[in-house]
Amino acid sequence: MAPTVTRRTFLQIAAAAGLAPNVAFAADPPKKGGTLRVGFYVEAVTMDPHLSGSKVDRQVYYNIYEPLLTLDTKLNIKPGLAESWTQPDPKTLVFKLRRGVKFHDGTAFDAAAAKFNFDRMKTEPKSIRKGEVASIDSVDVVDANTIRLNLKRPDAALPAALTDRAGMMVSPKVIQERGSSLERDAKGAGTGPFEFVEWVKDSHLVIKRNDSYWNKQGGPYLDRVRYRPIPDDVVKLQSLQGGEIDVMDYVLPRDVAPMKADKRLVVVDVPSLADFGYQLNHAKPPFNVKALRQAVAYAIDLEQIVKGVWLSVGYPANGPISPASWAYDRGIPPIKRDLAKAKAKLLEGGAPAGFEFTMTTNNLPISVQEAEVIQAQLAEAGIKMKIQLVDASTLIASGNAKNFQMISFQWSGRPDPDGNIYQFFKTTPGTSFNWSGISNEKLDALLDRSREVSSPAERKKIFSDITKILQDEIPMLFIVHPIEPKAFSPKVQGYDPIPDGMMRFKDVWLR
Amino acid sequence: MSRLVLHRLAATVPVLLLVTAGVFALLHLTPGDPIDTMMSESADATAKAHLRKELGLDQPIYVQYVRWMGRVLRGDLGRSIRNGEPVIENVSRRIRPSLQLALLAMTISLLVAVPLGIVSAVRRNTAADRVGTTFALFGICMPNFLLALLLIFVFGVTLRWLPISGYVDPMEEGFDGLRSLILPAVTLGLALGAVITRTLRSSLLDALAEDYVRTARAKGLSEWVVVRSHVLKNALIPVVTVLGLQLGTLIGGAVITEYVFALPGVGRLVVDAVFARDYPLVQGVILLIAIAFIVSNLLVDLLYGWIDPRIRVR
Amino acid sequence: MAPFGAAVLLAAVIAALAAPLLSPHDPLKQDLGNALARPGRTHVLGTDNVGRDVLSRVIWGTRVSLVAGLVSVALATAAGSLLGLLAGYWGGRVDGMVMRLMDAVLSFPPLVLALALGAVLGAGLSGVLIALGVVYTPTFARLMRGQVLSIKARDYIDAARALGASGLRVACRHIVPNAAAPIIVQASLSVAFTILAEASLSFLGLGIQPPQPSWGSMINAGRGYMQQAPWIVFGPGAALFVTVVGLNVVGDAVRDALDPRLRA
Repeated sequence: MAPTVTRRTFLQIAAAAGLAPNVAFAADPPKKGGTLRVGFYVEAVTMDPHLSGSKVDRQVYYNIYEPLLTLDTKLNIKPGLAESWTQPDPKTLVFKLRRGVKFHDGTAFDAAAAKFNFDRMKTEPKSIRKGEVASIDSVDVVDANTIRLNLKRPDAALPAALTDRAGMMVSPKVIQERGSSLERDAKGAGTGPFEFVEWVKDSHLVIKRNDSYWNKQGGPYLDRVRYRPIPDDVVKLQSLQGGEIDVMDYVLPRDVAPMKADKRLVVVDVPSLADFGYQLNHAKPPFNVKALRQAVAYAIDLEQIVKGVWLSVGYPANGPISPASWAYDRGIPPIKRDLAKAKAKLLEGGAPAGFEFTMTTNNLPISVQEAEVIQAQLAEAGIKMKIQLVDASTLIASGNAKNFQMISFQWSGRPDPDGNIYQFFKTTPGTSFNWSGISNEKLDALLDRSREVSSPAERKKIFSDITKILQDEIPMLFIVHPIEPKAFSPKVQGYDPIPDGMMRFKDVWLR
Repeated sequence: MSRLVLHRLAATVPVLLLVTAGVFALLHLTPGDPIDTMMSESADATAKAHLRKELGLDQPIYVQYVRWMGRVLRGDLGRSIRNGEPVIENVSRRIRPSLQLALLAMTISLLVAVPLGIVSAVRRNTAADRVGTTFALFGICMPNFLLALLLIFVFGVTLRWLPISGYVDPMEEGFDGLRSLILPAVTLGLALGAVITRTLRSSLLDALAEDYVRTARAKGLSEWVVVRSHVLKNALIPVVTVLGLQLGTLIGGAVITEYVFALPGVGRLVVDAVFARDYPLVQGVILLIAIAFIVSNLLVDLLYGWIDPRIRVR
Repeated sequence: MAPFGAAVLLAAVIAALAAPLLSPHDPLKQDLGNALARPGRTHVLGTDNVGRDVLSRVIWGTRVSLVAGLVSVALATAAGSLLGLLAGYWGGRVDGMVMRLMDAVLSFPPLVLALALGAVLGAGLSGVLIALGVVYTPTFARLMRGQVLSIKARDYIDAARALGASGLRVACRHIVPNAAAPIIVQASLSVAFTILAEASLSFLGLGIQPPQPSWGSMINAGRGYMQQAPWIVFGPGAALFVTVVGLNVVGDAVRDALDPRLRA
């Protein structure tokens, strides 16, 4: 990716964000050197991509590891460590691997290394990648730089999964020689533009420039990147204002407007793939009655929530797919508030005078605020909602145990729509993310079909049909697709936002 | 004296059993599961089940407790579920900032409180007394995190004199480390200093009203001599109690201060571990905090004996 | 100072009792279009992040804060004093058992104990009251025991015993009144701590459930708006501060009244 493009994109976004950056420096060539200090909301958990189950780990991974495929800013799938790929039949994927790529420990990245990684993801007992590579039956080494994935079934979502942790390649030598310590120490393990240096828990994690990076276009420019966990949003913001960090990973909606007005900072709006909403328990009163689910949906005013709570740092949701995705269907409007319809549905559901239920939600300020607004909106339709605030662990436990009536659900989103849909709405006995317990034959058939067809146009149509069913059945009240703004010190240049929210620092430099 | 210490140490065994069993029961009564929380973005039931089995979380709670106790008796506190590191390593990393913060806060509070408390009591109903009592009043009534926010706003963001977050070890980078601890230490120290000022003043006044003080005064001794030689020691009993109680609170419980200033201390470790349902970490840390508490209480009791021989256990 | 304290306390009690009459607006009425409004004529203390009137919420919040502070301290004082008296006066095995139990409670970091108790007892005010009561009990027990030990050693106790007073009578007549002053001081301080602890628990989601206002949860909710709309914090912050000051002053006055030797 040429730096000029990157810089232009950045300026466009900065301009769109209502900023007038000093255009004078736009012509400056990127400069090597410097340490970028990054503030993250929480500390990483593990450096082993095959064992990672938390979002924050990925932020670091994208700078030290590389996946076989990558995403561009429009979420198109592009070559990564695989320079090309073909699909001779629906159950076979062939990857041509890039030549001359070396891991940071000096060993070569080749077909044998790639096969080793897939085998480990599939067989390592602690692997969390099993689900994502479940459709892969076996991996063949065709020649030194070609691998073939033999699939058990067609899987249209697999290429997108290979742009994330499931496609990230780790040095087999590192795993074989010191497997378990990889969790804390990723020295030599990746092929990316930066190399792991050290991780002092609770203090910092440092990576440094990989001077023998295979891609000679653009960066890496930075000498080092230093990640710091700052769990408190207010402190993180003040640290950026005070010049103690150069980048913060996420700006809360309430801080966006004042930060955009602050000349010491640059705020970049990054659309996200996330969908935030509430799952409704289909197995328990009152939401075992479809009409009552619909009554709630009609009583809620999404526009007001997005404007008043999210301060327009997000879009009202029509379903699980974000407007940032190619599969988003502009033709389907979000459910509109209609109190008359809500009353009619209450009557139909056998509760003409309204009913009472409890919402279980996270005790984060914005979740509380949203809950309070929904509570007031529902009250206007005669529906009495109690709010139960719980911590994140309790929330997950309540969801998994289906011990709720209505429960907050916040999904960070996946590049392929499948990752936002299938596991939430497909009939699944036992524990899954289908907390609502929805089981709908027509929906199940469409979900399976969406994985079998590979043409994006056809898939998009299926996802639209699914969205319409979801709007009728309401396993989930879709509220918002948040924008995830990131903030920078003005000296940070060349950041190219991709809607998955991951911060790739390859082409970033300091003025 | 050594018999007393031995006796007290033996008495800690039931306390520790009570604490650990209590923690175990409370934790497992609290909804939530460490594996689900750690892998919040994965619904892979088999991987989770495997991890649970490997960590012994699939066993009944009393089996888990007995196994855990068995390991503790062999000196093994286990490993954190979340980061896989031994509990003892987690704690030893976090105890430094907490201890340093506690000591600095106590130093600040004593430097302010002891002179203020004495002057307030001795020069009762004068302007000096009013300064002391007003300080105590305001210090006690000032919400901890409001003060922290104010200090950050004034000294960190507006004046930019002091760092507002992050921890630098003063043992390694002396001056910078001290600077990083000043705001949190002042936040904690003000409230503590207020409590000490108030306690000291009130107990000094009590002591000054005793008969033997009147006798001493009648002998023509100056007020300062009376205070120093007759009163101060007795008046220190409640102060020592307060300090002893606060030390434990400061080490294990400065949660809000540690959060607001992003200090990686023990208080934050415990609460984070509770939120993550990281059972071995919570159990291990609380056991260690309990031990620290018991030791500091024992020291308080020994100090009682030294200050007031009448209380000494015969 | 005492009249000031009494006035504050009286005002707080009136505010708590007559909140519906005194508050200019409905404390729950949202107006998202008018969120974070500056203090002015209609909203004397401004509005919060969903456009609710801060003054009205402060007035209603008095109820929760007073109840949280007073009830939990009352629980802790009663339980702690009784246990401390038992331990200090009877000594021996009773002392050992009571104080070990208190040690165990004390050894828990208070927030963790409150968090776990709250989770077990269920979210809401009653869980918080009990949790805070338990957390603060050992403070009173230890203080009472220390006082009792010190008083027991004094001559007049021996004298009372020699005159044939029963153990209960000695405890009630001689020890409790003489030990009361520090307990009252501690109680007046503890109200401040429990009101703050209630705020911390609200922060952890275990306190009052929304949308009911409590000063603690208001300060926590307003915390993120310190730079844009500091009045969200100032309103409840000032109310909290002034009330706690008042409580302390009254506590001192009571203390002086209980201990005639100190009357000026």
